[in-house]
Amino acid sequence: MATALRIAVLRHIRIPVQALEGFRPASASWNLFRGQNRSLSSHGDEHLEREEVVERVLAVVKSFPKLDPSKVAADSHFQKDLGLDSLDGVEIVMALEEEFKLEIPDKEADKIDSCSVAIEYIFNHPMSG
Amino acid sequence: MSSSTLGYLARRAAQKERVRILYRRALKNTLDWAVHRHLFYCDADELRAKFDANKHVEDLDTIDRLINEAEASYEKWQHPDPYIVPWAPAGSKFTRNPAPPQGVEIVYNYGKEESD
Repeated sequence: MATALRIAVLRHIRIPVQALEGFRPASASWNLFRGQNRSLSSHGDEHLEREEVVERVLAVVKSFPKLDPSKVAADSHFQKDLGLDSLDGVEIVMALEEEFKLEIPDKEADKIDSCSVAIEYIFNHPMSG
Repeated sequence: MSSSTLGYLARRAAQKERVRILYRRALKNTLDWAVHRHLFYCDADELRAKFDANKHVEDLDTIDRLINEAEASYEKWQHPDPYIVPWAPAGSKFTRNPAPPQGVEIVYNYGKEESD
């Protein structure tokens, strides 16, 4: 009985539905991602600019205590130009790894022996940040 | 250049590479053991002093023996739970949230760009 009554009542109720045109701002600013497609993954969607990589690599190298900061240039060789030994080079590469949140395999890290190689490696690494 | 000189140079180059990689691993291991940065600096200086102590050894067999001893000591003192960058193999984020296949993307306004 109650069920039949309920169904009969619901059949006669009408709720007017209409779109609130004024409610949604028509300006483009409501959608931050308008016209852009955001990647589904956090892997490799932002890349560092080359200038930023150069600047940060040189800042790390200049802060190394055993060398003269004024001699550091983008093409300096750690041992030939800056007068460091091979273990200092290892320390600089480790500092660069920490600066750019990288994990460089040992054999590849061993080949980074100058600022230009380091800049090239870090700029081309998809995970450097 | 005689073949013995070449052999000497090749052996020296191999030893230098071994030392560099050993120093790199040992330095990372030191960082894993140190809970604070200021402790790491002291430990790293000690490590560097150990390497520098044998800097001027010339005899090839002695160098090999020293490197073997140092590698054994490194193996013995390896940290059981080293720090690994999250995305790297064995890191906490390794293969999580991987890149989707080409052509898959989010379209934020659900295909209604024309009606806006």
